[in-house]
Amino acid sequence: MDQEFKWEWELSANKKKIQFGLKELWQYRGLIQSFARKELIAGYQQTIMGLSWLVIQPILTTLFYLLVFSRIVKVSTDGVPPLLFYMSGSLLWGFFSECLTSTMFTFKHNAHIFSKVYFPRLVVPISMIGTHAFRFSIQFILFLLIYTYYWISGAVHPSIYILWLPIVILGTVTLAMGLGMIVSIYLARYNDLEPFMNFFLRLLMFVTPVVYPASLIPQSYKFLFWANPLIPLMEYFKAGFFFTKPVNMSYLFISFFITSLIFLCGLIYFKKKELSVMDTI
Amino acid sequence: MSEIILRVENVSKYYKLGVLGSSSLKKDLQSWWRTNISKNQIAIPIEKKESKDHIWALKDINFEINEGDCLGIVGKNGSGKSTLLKTVSRIVPPTTGSIKGRGKITSLLEVGTGFHPELSGRENLYLNGQILGMSKKEITSKLDEIIDFSGVERFLDTPVKRYSSGMYVRLAFSVAAHLNTDILIVDEVLAVGDSEFQKKCIGKMQDVTQKSGKTILFVSHNLLALENLCNKAICLSKGNLVDAGDAKSVISNYLNKEKVEILEQNFQLTDTYVGNEFIAMHSISLKPQYNDFNIIDTSIPLLINFSFLNKMLGSDNLSVHVLLYYYGGDCVFETRSIPTVYANGKINGTCLIPGNFLNDGHYYISISFIRNSSKVLYEYTEALVFDVADYREDKSSFGKWIGAVRPNFPVHLEEALM
Repeated sequence: MDQEFKWEWELSANKKKIQFGLKELWQYRGLIQSFARKELIAGYQQTIMGLSWLVIQPILTTLFYLLVFSRIVKVSTDGVPPLLFYMSGSLLWGFFSECLTSTMFTFKHNAHIFSKVYFPRLVVPISMIGTHAFRFSIQFILFLLIYTYYWISGAVHPSIYILWLPIVILGTVTLAMGLGMIVSIYLARYNDLEPFMNFFLRLLMFVTPVVYPASLIPQSYKFLFWANPLIPLMEYFKAGFFFTKPVNMSYLFISFFITSLIFLCGLIYFKKKELSVMDTI
Repeated sequence: MSEIILRVENVSKYYKLGVLGSSSLKKDLQSWWRTNISKNQIAIPIEKKESKDHIWALKDINFEINEGDCLGIVGKNGSGKSTLLKTVSRIVPPTTGSIKGRGKITSLLEVGTGFHPELSGRENLYLNGQILGMSKKEITSKLDEIIDFSGVERFLDTPVKRYSSGMYVRLAFSVAAHLNTDILIVDEVLAVGDSEFQKKCIGKMQDVTQKSGKTILFVSHNLLALENLCNKAICLSKGNLVDAGDAKSVISNYLNKEKVEILEQNFQLTDTYVGNEFIAMHSISLKPQYNDFNIIDTSIPLLINFSFLNKMLGSDNLSVHVLLYYYGGDCVFETRSIPTVYANGKINGTCLIPGNFLNDGHYYISISFIRNSSKVLYEYTEALVFDVADYREDKSSFGKWIGAVRPNFPVHLEEALM
């Protein structure tokens, strides 16, 4: 007695293939916007300084790094003005770690919504990254203003590597989101991952040239360049603004390769588990 | 003739039970190895039997809904109603079987999903609407209607954390009531809010089905509302579909069959866990203060004893509300404890319903735990179910006494002296 008409959708226990649901995601673009806005506004509600925290935060971090690493520990900055050096490092690192952290808590922090209503779960990490991208761009503009001052005074000058900038930033987001998506699924089930990831992030910051130049990495540890896709990204980001010495291009391509691999795995795993993970949370 | 809009075929849902702990990773790895590497075991047992470490919340459910139908789902606590709604609304995937449908499906399993306390009423209205699948344009075009329905226009630019719980619910339901969708799934949301607003909501939902021909799946403990609203119904029991058809007959079958008495529940002794991260029920019992016969009649005082584990952290007030309902109907009364800060640990409570107060009938008692007089931490519905029999001291009076209560303050008559 099967009717002639066509079903428009089907939810089935055995999904044959994974669909990324890009069309569906597009329909929810309004929600992505709203979530991103909510995240941005709600974070600064009932604060005296309001959105100016966006600017104060990186300045304070930079000044702190400046004090500790430049004045106390006296780490070399490869001749780059310390203020710019620490600011550029903390800018990109902060963007990476915030994107990763907010993506990995996708299920954990939104379980109350996810258990009540359906929408493509990718909406949450994408909107989170939107929020962080907005914050990043404000902070980046601040950085550019300070940079221009130094440029005019002749202390620094940009190099040809600056053309890589958009791709480097994109690579950073992709890496953070890819890692975050994989972790988010496991984090929903195993709380142990939360302290582990905190530890991992702190460790990663020190094996990435954030507060020191990559030239300080001894020759025998150069394999770190290969293992950590964040290092070439960080180096190319800095190289665009203050050219110190040429950076091997092949490292960057390896980093892109690893990043895309992680992102693809993360996306497939996320799409596969986005609904069933709610059974285990 | 209306066409089928949703078909549920052989849907089953399997849940693992037990606490996650240090051993769960090992178990996960073992079962992953067995299913994916050595392939000598399938992930889920085929036989749908109850066991200590898993449960079949739904077992081979089959049904269809025609366009414009309003389908009520009845069943006791734990019969799988909510799981069914969650499966149909795509929140959790079915373990076996499939659900096919046409058109846009929206689920309203809770009012105010995604409300952010720091945002204003207006901002939340947009956010909530978009979570439920409306576009910004759609919301803007219906904004006046929504605000008008909610009756909170004066507070629209106030953060919702300053709202009273009533205002919060009104605003949240108003968004939901104006959803533009083909299939609407509603779970127990009408249990909140004051009765006047509840009526308004039910009226709105009736409008929705009758005028615009939308399809609704509806779960409620209020069988009267269900009977008014729905034309079809299904009945679930322990994950099985036991009855389906015309709403009136399904509901009356259910009432007759399920008319049970629960005078005591002890959760410490069983494996079933009742509660959440804030509250764990230990026990609840109804002790009739019998005098001569062991029958609960209208003259017998009823003592409710309960105990629970307070796991709520922080220095927030906790109060316990005891609510008495007609079975399948409205609330008769609600009584509350004084909000107080309690230490974590076991707390005992009592509540005495005096004799000569309730009318005869079938009742159930729900208990809810409230934080800071506003936030429902946990609600356990149908904790106790009992019958109150008619009591006639004076055999000369006939007929059922009408009214929700039957208090003992008789009318006095006196012959006036001329």
